[in-house]
Amino acid sequence: MLTFNADSLRLTVRQYILANHLFTDDPSALNDDESFQESRIVDSMGMIQIIQFLESSYDIKIHDHEMVPEELDSVNRIVRLVARKQRAA
Amino acid sequence: MDDASTLVHLLARSAAARPDAEALVADGVALTYAALWAQVERACESLRQEGLASGDHVALILPNSPAYVVWFYAILASGAVVVPINPDAATAELINRLQHSGATAAILDRSRLARPSLEAVADSGIDIVNSDAVMADSAAGQQPTAIDLPAIDAADLAAIFYTSGTTAEPRGVMLSHRNLVSNTLAISEALALRPSDRVLAALPFFYAYGNSVLHTHLAAGATVVIEQSLMYPQRVVDTMRAQQITGFPGVPSMFTSLVERSSFGAGASALPRLRYVTQAGAAMRLSDIARVRARFPNVAFHVMYGQTEATARLTMLPPRDIDHRPGSAGLPIRGVRLRIMASEDREARPGETGDVQVSGPGVMLGYWRAPAATASVITDNGLERWLRTGDLGYVDDDGFLYLTGRRADLIKTGAHRVLPAAIEEAALELADVAEAAACGIPDPMLGQSVLLVVVPRRGANLTTAAVQAHCRKRLTRHMVPARVVIAGALPRTASGKVQRQTLPTVRSMEARPWAR
Repeated sequence: MLTFNADSLRLTVRQYILANHLFTDDPSALNDDESFQESRIVDSMGMIQIIQFLESSYDIKIHDHEMVPEELDSVNRIVRLVARKQRAA
Repeated sequence: MDDASTLVHLLARSAAARPDAEALVADGVALTYAALWAQVERACESLRQEGLASGDHVALILPNSPAYVVWFYAILASGAVVVPINPDAATAELINRLQHSGATAAILDRSRLARPSLEAVADSGIDIVNSDAVMADSAAGQQPTAIDLPAIDAADLAAIFYTSGTTAEPRGVMLSHRNLVSNTLAISEALALRPSDRVLAALPFFYAYGNSVLHTHLAAGATVVIEQSLMYPQRVVDTMRAQQITGFPGVPSMFTSLVERSSFGAGASALPRLRYVTQAGAAMRLSDIARVRARFPNVAFHVMYGQTEATARLTMLPPRDIDHRPGSAGLPIRGVRLRIMASEDREARPGETGDVQVSGPGVMLGYWRAPAATASVITDNGLERWLRTGDLGYVDDDGFLYLTGRRADLIKTGAHRVLPAAIEEAALELADVAEAAACGIPDPMLGQSVLLVVVPRRGANLTTAAVQAHCRKRLTRHMVPARVVIAGALPRTASGKVQRQTLPTVRSMEARPWAR
């Protein structure tokens, strides 16, 4: 399990999305506030994969009511969600 | 021309019968049948002003939206041919489809289409029509009037739907007005659709299944609640609940996603109005069907089977038979004839497996600009016209169809169909790739995902990341390989044919020198 650190969390999420959804290691290809939905970086199945990645990497459970764009639709939103859940754990 | 010779006539009937009823709902905003019809009229007029002639081909490059629906009907009402194209298609695929289809105009949302795609469309010399042109003007409260329809023969070409194909050999399925109307009415009857129904349409309209969901419900005078994506499953269920959805058509991956990742899994308490679901697109595991049914014991679960070449649906398993005939794809819907051929000239006995062939008013006119491909799937002796589905199966003593296999090469991933050759074609564009072969591998969510095995050229320094990055640029997202293996050689038969079924066992040789 990865432990919480905002910077390393951001880096890990970014690297995961760059490698698995944009197929690049160029960090400039992804803006931390970029909407996955609007930019169509991720599709519906890609979002399920991201959630599975977060749950297994950070030992958290993302609940149904958290499966909304407000919580998951950008790198920054994901970082906030995971950080909040880890603090609450 | 009788009064139901085109989909436009079916919509006109609904608009006349239920002008104030909700036809479409998107983002919580409803459009009545009267308003929808008025917008179709305006879009139709706009097309005429653009100089569109009867028989012209018009590309429709929009996501699921009211605009898509308005323009689809307006193109048909103009006597033109509608060519729906995936708005998320990679630029190369988009341009290929535009050029191959012979489109003279393209309707698109400039703000949504990716910049390279938009530039490519503009450069192709095709007349671009802004989809928002007629949508901005609200048509609330307008009463339907009669669109002055050009002379349309039911046998005329109405639409070209692109199905799996390569850039070199695109497969554009040509459907006539009769194809579309007959299949729409047969499905509507099989599902006993009614004006009070409210369906959640999340399947893409540019594919046959989503297309049939749209037109069957509008023909029934029902309400189509449009959803562009299932990216956030709980949001979709919230919409279903708020919109009092009665019907949900899906493919297996959608049901899995909803059951596992939303309150859909809570069953009838979450969606008390749900009356029916339909499942098609790929075989759904019986355990997954049972999981959905256990949560919705009073919801009719319709297993359906079809293909684009037959407009949409061919058979349906009545919900009452689902327990008695597990695994069956059901009985032919109205107008469809089914036969299983054990060999070229012998029909199979009940229980005997063979090629599934179908006949009826839904069978396509053929593939656009591909007579050889058409001849390979359509048998026409002047009296009877049969479509080889490419699927293998048998019928039981009561005529229920069971599918046992399919065209070996076709990859079914989520709601998409992918020809391995389309992926191989993209991989071979890389100078470092000598050979490439793709196949489907099991995926718990999608049914299948894409595996690509590549053999590098001698001395090349090829990485899986480079191959995936190239594929991401060249291919539409669902075609991008989930897994790439760099191998020393492709598995081949003695005659040199690639053995796709053994590709998943090929071992990676990445990070090894390629001296051969």
